[in-house]
Amino acid sequence: MKRRDFVKGFAVATATATTALGQKQTGAQNPPPTSNGVDQGTMAVQPSAASSPQAVARVQRDSQIRTPNIPLSQPDSVAVTEARYFSVVRYATLVHLCETFMPSTDEYPSAVKAGAPEFLDFYLGASPADQQTFWNTGLDRLNADSLKQFHVPFAKADAKQVDTLIRPHLKGWMNDHPPREPHVRFINLAHRDIRTATINSPAWAKAAEALGERTPGVGLYMHPVDPGIQTWVAHGVAQAAPTPRQKHA
Amino acid sequence: MAQMKVDVLIIGSGHTGGMAAKILTEKGIACTMLDAGPMINFEKDRELKPSFELPYRGLDAPGRLPHVFQSSEFNANQWVDEKVIPYSHPADQPYNWVRVRSLGGRSPYWGRQSFRHSDYEFKSKDHDGFGENWPISLKDLLPYYPRVEDIFRVSGHTDNLPQYPDGKFIEDNAPWSGAMQRFVNAGKTLGVPVTKARSALGKDGMAASLNLVIPDAVATGKLTTIPNAVVRQITVDKNTGLADGVLFVDRHSHREMAIKARVVIVAAGTLETTRLLMISNICNSSGALGHYLTDQIYGAGIICSVPEARDGKATRGLMGGGALIPRFRNLETKTNGFLRGYAVNVSNNTGPFDARALPFYGKELEQKLQSYNGSTFSTNIMGETLGHYENHVALNKQVVDAWGMPTLNISTKYTNNETNMTKDYIDTMAAMAEAAGFDILVKNYEFNPPGYSIHEQGTARMSDDPKKGVVNKWNQSHDMKNLFITDASVFVSAGWQNPTITMCTLAMRASEYLAEEMRKGNV
Repeated sequence: MKRRDFVKGFAVATATATTALGQKQTGAQNPPPTSNGVDQGTMAVQPSAASSPQAVARVQRDSQIRTPNIPLSQPDSVAVTEARYFSVVRYATLVHLCETFMPSTDEYPSAVKAGAPEFLDFYLGASPADQQTFWNTGLDRLNADSLKQFHVPFAKADAKQVDTLIRPHLKGWMNDHPPREPHVRFINLAHRDIRTATINSPAWAKAAEALGERTPGVGLYMHPVDPGIQTWVAHGVAQAAPTPRQKHA
Repeated sequence: MAQMKVDVLIIGSGHTGGMAAKILTEKGIACTMLDAGPMINFEKDRELKPSFELPYRGLDAPGRLPHVFQSSEFNANQWVDEKVIPYSHPADQPYNWVRVRSLGGRSPYWGRQSFRHSDYEFKSKDHDGFGENWPISLKDLLPYYPRVEDIFRVSGHTDNLPQYPDGKFIEDNAPWSGAMQRFVNAGKTLGVPVTKARSALGKDGMAASLNLVIPDAVATGKLTTIPNAVVRQITVDKNTGLADGVLFVDRHSHREMAIKARVVIVAAGTLETTRLLMISNICNSSGALGHYLTDQIYGAGIICSVPEARDGKATRGLMGGGALIPRFRNLETKTNGFLRGYAVNVSNNTGPFDARALPFYGKELEQKLQSYNGSTFSTNIMGETLGHYENHVALNKQVVDAWGMPTLNISTKYTNNETNMTKDYIDTMAAMAEAAGFDILVKNYEFNPPGYSIHEQGTARMSDDPKKGVVNKWNQSHDMKNLFITDASVFVSAGWQNPTITMCTLAMRASEYLAEEMRKGNV
């Protein structure tokens, strides 16, 4: 944990403890234990139980609970993504492509150090089949071109050889329209995705913080609402269509 | 419990449903407004987050929203998931149906470009022979446009161009930046007007029905708003043949409920409105319901760099600002290859350069990004597409949504008209950018699939002739005098304009007409 976060968390925890102590001193009581038989389930189906003084007191008390401030960390700060989708050769090609597109700078880690290859392995492994085919074909083509032109796998190609294989295919593009030719499209989309997976990595955020720069890629995140439609339906809580009248007959 | 009969039932709470609620309740008419989605709590449901904290580093869940190009991992939860409410299209006719289901509909998220239509749109058939005229002209809307512009607080500049009618603006008299002035001058030599953008300022950072019109209706004490009410059928009185209410399903529990109404206003958003009318098997004596779907092409454009702004050398006032090029083709003269015209959004920004536009990698790319930082000049098209009869939607009863409702099959495609229009656009913008001294890095002739602009229009068009249209010039169904449609499904042609201001103007006008008809006892 970063020291600053720890100090902040400690300060809040101290304030919370002080407040709690203050409440106790003014005579606030602990809620009745749930062993009195009036639990939430009972309350839901027994209105009389729900309106009993004990139940009302407990619910009021529960509604006052505030979320404790516990600093949280991303798993990437302590763990490494298991790469399990791409074949050994394709993964080696991907790693070399990542290092080529996003080498480290004096200030920021490379795509490889930022865990981009492992992340993309995970991401493509979870993607629709057409995306998987697109990447597999693209990586295979890179390797095949390297073997054909330089008699070494792409993963072993030197910088000059890699440049020969990649540069002719890089095109400027915009909006939602990467180039149409399949291999050119692959090179440009792979470039975009490797950049995204790198710049949006926890490693880059950490580097930005160390430099005193803004965290890359901050946006307004919208949570699933009330709850998400998909969640509700997917859990099979309700029938999609009303039960027809004749079903009851 | 005795069933009430509400005065006016409004289906949908977006810009036009909200406008109808405001106008009617302010005239003392009680309204009940149903929305299929929940109320968004903007404080609770949204938060600033860095993308490294998101599960997919900003790339979003794989394959989640394949037709919503606007989606990102940040906003993915605001769009309708097509696994929940599916739709289909022929394999060779992709369609991006971009939907929101929450109170306010899509109104919290629109682009805010605020334009009036002109008689080049309202009387388009007279001008070029294609399609049909609207049964109204600009003159009919002149009493209403300024009131709507007042509500939305539209900033803009008075330009005196017939194809770009001026409005009631918060006047924008700011000078052009140096780069923009060069582009304006280049346009003058080619006969292309470059004007100030026109945009709704709204209030408190938003220009939605939720904050601009619905609160006025709430203040009257005459609006009842019910979220999570998925209307699955408009019901009909067998004796009168008029609409008499709706059946709706609670979004969570799927409990089905009935509500009776004296008048029904359908404002569910173009294709949802048409889908509901089709499912209810009403309002189609003309045979026009579902046909003449149209919108605007987006996505094609150019990206340039202003050389004098590179390497941090931009002088004060050189860069910044945006502009709007209103339609300039096929007005007084005829352009070969396409009917109608296009408008252009122009942007001159001082932010980071888009890495995709630079064909470099590694350290060389980083150096280029540093050099090009703050030098972007770009354009994007808004081109009118043609509403052919064949561009249509039909019910697919084999595939139902999560509430058991038949879904839509959308069949629409662009033609050479759009392709030729786009070529003309790119070539013209490139010529202007070159004349202005900009370096052109990308010329993209490819436009997005139909639907992308989120400006779907038509499928329940208006007409004086009950055999040609679904509603009359007052947005009133030809088949049921107590049913009104206020969204863009009533549009006869798309124009190049963002439709919101005209939608709201029509909704205001229709609601005042309805209130008067109710007062007279005609409805």
